[in-house]
Amino acid sequence: MMNDGNVTLTLTPAADSPRPLVLTPGQDLRGYLAALLGRAFLFFLTFSSVLAVMLILVFVVIRSLGFLSSSSLMEFLASQSWRPTADPPVFGALAIIVGSLYVSLAALVFAVPLGILAAVFLSDMVSWKVRNVVKPIVEILAAIPSVAYGFFAVLVLAPWLQREFGFSTGTNALNASLILAVMALPTIISVAEDSISALGRELREASYSCGATRMETLLRVVIPAAHSGIIAAVVLGMMRAIGETMVVWMASGNAPQIPHPWWDLAQSVRTLTATIAGEMGEAPETSLHRGALFAMGVLLLLMTLGMNIVSEYFLARAKKAGGKA
Amino acid sequence: MKLRFRGQLDRVFTIATGLSVVLLTLVLLAILGPMVYRGSSAVFFQGTVEFRKMQKNLFGRGDEQALHAEVAETEKVRQQVYEMIDAFKKGVDVEALSEQVRQIHRQFGQDLRDRNLPAGEYTRLRELTRQIRDKLEAAFRSQDINEIKRLVGEVLKDESNPQLKGTSAEKLFAIARQFLQAAGQIDLGKHQEYALALQEAEGILFHSEALPGLLGPRPGEPPAPLVMLRYGATRWDQAQTLLDRFLWVEHWVEEKPGEPLVLQRKPRAELFPEPLRPLFTYVEQNAGKMLHPRRTVYWQFLRDDNVNSHYFGGIGPEILGTMLITVVGMLFVIPLGIISAAYLVECASDGWTMRIIRMGINTLAGVPSIVFGLFGLAFFVLFLFPLLGFAPRPCILAASMTLAVLTLPVMIRASEEAIRSVPATYKEGSLALGASRFHTFIAVTFPAALPGILTGVILSLSRIAGETAPILFTGAVSLGAVPRSLFDPTRTLSYGSYDMAVGDRLGMMVPHNQYGMVVTLVLLILILNGAAIMLRTRVFKKLRGH
Amino acid sequence: MRKAILSAVLVALATGTVARAETLRIEGSSTVGPIADAFAEYFKSVNPGLEITVNKNGSGNGATALIEGRCDIAAMSRFMSPDEFAKAVANKVYPVAWTIAMDGICVVVHPSNPVKALTSAQVRDIYMGKITNWSQVGGSNTPIVVISRDTSSGTYETFETLVMKKQPMAQGVEYVNANPQAQARVKTTAGAIGYVGLGFLEGVKVVPIDGVRPTKQTVANGTYPLSRPLFLFTNGFPKLGSIPFKFVTFYLSEKGQELVEAKDFVPVTNY
Repeated sequence: MMNDGNVTLTLTPAADSPRPLVLTPGQDLRGYLAALLGRAFLFFLTFSSVLAVMLILVFVVIRSLGFLSSSSLMEFLASQSWRPTADPPVFGALAIIVGSLYVSLAALVFAVPLGILAAVFLSDMVSWKVRNVVKPIVEILAAIPSVAYGFFAVLVLAPWLQREFGFSTGTNALNASLILAVMALPTIISVAEDSISALGRELREASYSCGATRMETLLRVVIPAAHSGIIAAVVLGMMRAIGETMVVWMASGNAPQIPHPWWDLAQSVRTLTATIAGEMGEAPETSLHRGALFAMGVLLLLMTLGMNIVSEYFLARAKKAGGKA
Repeated sequence: MKLRFRGQLDRVFTIATGLSVVLLTLVLLAILGPMVYRGSSAVFFQGTVEFRKMQKNLFGRGDEQALHAEVAETEKVRQQVYEMIDAFKKGVDVEALSEQVRQIHRQFGQDLRDRNLPAGEYTRLRELTRQIRDKLEAAFRSQDINEIKRLVGEVLKDESNPQLKGTSAEKLFAIARQFLQAAGQIDLGKHQEYALALQEAEGILFHSEALPGLLGPRPGEPPAPLVMLRYGATRWDQAQTLLDRFLWVEHWVEEKPGEPLVLQRKPRAELFPEPLRPLFTYVEQNAGKMLHPRRTVYWQFLRDDNVNSHYFGGIGPEILGTMLITVVGMLFVIPLGIISAAYLVECASDGWTMRIIRMGINTLAGVPSIVFGLFGLAFFVLFLFPLLGFAPRPCILAASMTLAVLTLPVMIRASEEAIRSVPATYKEGSLALGASRFHTFIAVTFPAALPGILTGVILSLSRIAGETAPILFTGAVSLGAVPRSLFDPTRTLSYGSYDMAVGDRLGMMVPHNQYGMVVTLVLLILILNGAAIMLRTRVFKKLRGH
Repeated sequence: MRKAILSAVLVALATGTVARAETLRIEGSSTVGPIADAFAEYFKSVNPGLEITVNKNGSGNGATALIEGRCDIAAMSRFMSPDEFAKAVANKVYPVAWTIAMDGICVVVHPSNPVKALTSAQVRDIYMGKITNWSQVGGSNTPIVVISRDTSSGTYETFETLVMKKQPMAQGVEYVNANPQAQARVKTTAGAIGYVGLGFLEGVKVVPIDGVRPTKQTVANGTYPLSRPLFLFTNGFPKLGSIPFKFVTFYLSEKGQELVEAKDFVPVTNY
């Protein structure tokens, strides 16, 4: 099968194709029906897989309805007090929402410059051969299971941060965002590299011919021209970071507080995903508590949906820009 | 001048991009390096005789005779440890002594009843041993050596009593004499203290109620209920930690009031009186002879089942379970992902329905994986299985299906991108030559898109093998039999690692097994990925015509 | 060819459901899990034909699994909630509780901490954020790092009821998801305070609460204020002599008690 991958094969089907030039009505009908059936079958498969995926969204929304209809949405979004097992329970998720955004944004601060530099390195600095060696490194980073990252965060990074920087706690926003940065890097690098190399030679050559150095070409011409793709890369990286569960659960310290002062990464924060993962198992099946956790899931969905729309928009623009160049 | 500056700047920039990649590589090494190093000690380590005993008893491995000879050799060296402790105990462990004396008294009464003595005789002898018992117990309790001498002396007067000769009561005199001898050598006021210290030392040396010790239980002791307590330190590194704990006591002492305490180490021998001190030097000098450390390659770690929640044994069933779940999951993901992507690209019009579908699929990136688990339980196990006539309980099939749903978006998206990026000219050429659309897809588009599709396979494979939360409700167990069909639940590497990290303290006691499990998972994924990456490079080369 | 072998293997796997020996399914709390593991291993060594599966996915899930008939025994570190009971009865499941062991929750600090004892009021003030420096309770001048178990765990619930008296914890409190993590955090942080089960005291210093030190005796007889029972739940009273019956009554035997102790919990009987 794989041997047939080259161009010679694209010629063969016509050569030994049993297709006569003129079809009888019966053959025509049969061919039409077969195509129709095949299409229907493919549609069914596609439909069912898409359906299974879509059902999750429905599932999350339905399970949260009980909570959303019976509890105050205002309290959920505006209160900082998350005490699901108190009597009466208080479901204020503000600090947790902020925590989610906080670590993801901090992760981006680490990951974006590094990711763009690495993408530029892969697309403009090295030969095809070197690129083929370096790319798997990035892919391996994407392949390491999150449990392993979690172990690293708790057992290696946390004590190190505590020792070297004198933090009172090693499991904090800094720890979580560093690990999330590493996890988001592969996405950022590959999408950014695609859009940078898609710009083609002409733009670069034009810049070089004006006497610009490589750095100037890249920083002033290529990267601005590829900005849509890079923004999309950043948003996709952010989506990866905000949806990650196990690592933040182990590394962030899980204190439902808004860091004060706001730039102090050495404080513990708690994220939406970690709260869901940590509390779902113990909360009674039909309780408000579970509903509140699912409501957090809905919130996450809305966040990723928003980011998605943004990334689609910029990717579409990047495609257009690439097409023009 | 300015030109030179620009040239410098350019070079700095080039170096910076290179450094970013170097940094990435370093991060990768920093994450994998220590983990692989610690994990490899699950297989490569210095195994002691206790390890070989355990292997023989639990897995039937190793040469019986050689083991016997080795055990005999080590027991000979250990014998002296037992003797030193027993000798010391006779003067110190007064509660055990009292218990022993009471036991002998009861036994003697039993013997007398069996001999059918006349009633008067019986009462007299019983009274005699009762007096001996009480005097001995008084002596054990006493802290005055002169009183002990007097009491023991009174007891020993009865030794010549012919009626006690040859009976079970005779043992009382041996105990009395040994106690007198031992009591002369130690500070009697510290009985209680010594007994506690000895208990702790014995716990480290043999085993305590909940923790295994350096040498393992003494021969003849009834087996402990937990298997891990039945063996000493099976690994030399473990043995050294225990030896250190045996030889040194850690104290946190106050140097200045109101300041944090400071750690101080002092020899454990100092807690004991002179007669027992040689024990510590003896154990320190002869630890190697008592344990026989030897380089061991325990490759069966990858095959064996575990004992006592991964205290002993390996991760065979976990590897099998992970492979099964991954393979079955991929059987769902790959065809469904490619077909869906092909349909979305080739057949469906690029209208707003497509956009919504794509948007929905991408939005799933933000759903925490545990929600997939609950969904899988509610939809596959409790809804779909009864519909298809299967038993509605968590199993490998359900776990694979749940993971498939989790990774389908990744797969669809990657395949879609790959298929879309095949130049239209390829397809048009094929169609122009008269091939059907189906044939064109199979023969032209698909091979051309294969590298991109394989990237999708790599990404989804890593997630399927590595996820924990989705299978928590749909097919993973922490303890259970090796699965015999797809309708059995299974253990997996990912859940196992998580369980060991958060379960009880066993994970901390056997970090090599914990890391070994994580590293095996990482390596398994990397090997599978390596295969996919190599495949992709080959396909790529073919496509570029090299 | 390879495909043929693969599919043959898969078919064999899928159809290979042999009529298998009796299976006992246990689900629930990760605190009770280790006891269930130890019991299960012992049971399997005595009844070779028996299959036992243990899944530690949380007390809430254990209860749900029992109510929906997906497991035979639910392991729980808290008592069933009234809601769960109502749902069970509606489902024609009648939960019976078996208290198999007691768990002591020890308040621990870093071993370098000079604090000798605390009252439960002081611990409450520390967790509420009213006391923020160890010098306020007779220790050195070190800021307190407060570590709690996650709000959904049974350990947290016990602590909240018995120490916090339902007062809210301060916002800066750090939450960790398991006993080993709590122990590790306290062990490595000079100013830390936390609470863990009896089995996690290596390398940390136990602080007596209200003058009582947590030991097996004080936990079992209730003099130590922070102890809680651990449960197994069955559907109805199991048939006498059946495997589930033997399993849930195993804690009464000497072997069972030894196992409970070997896992660092406190047997309910014996003392």
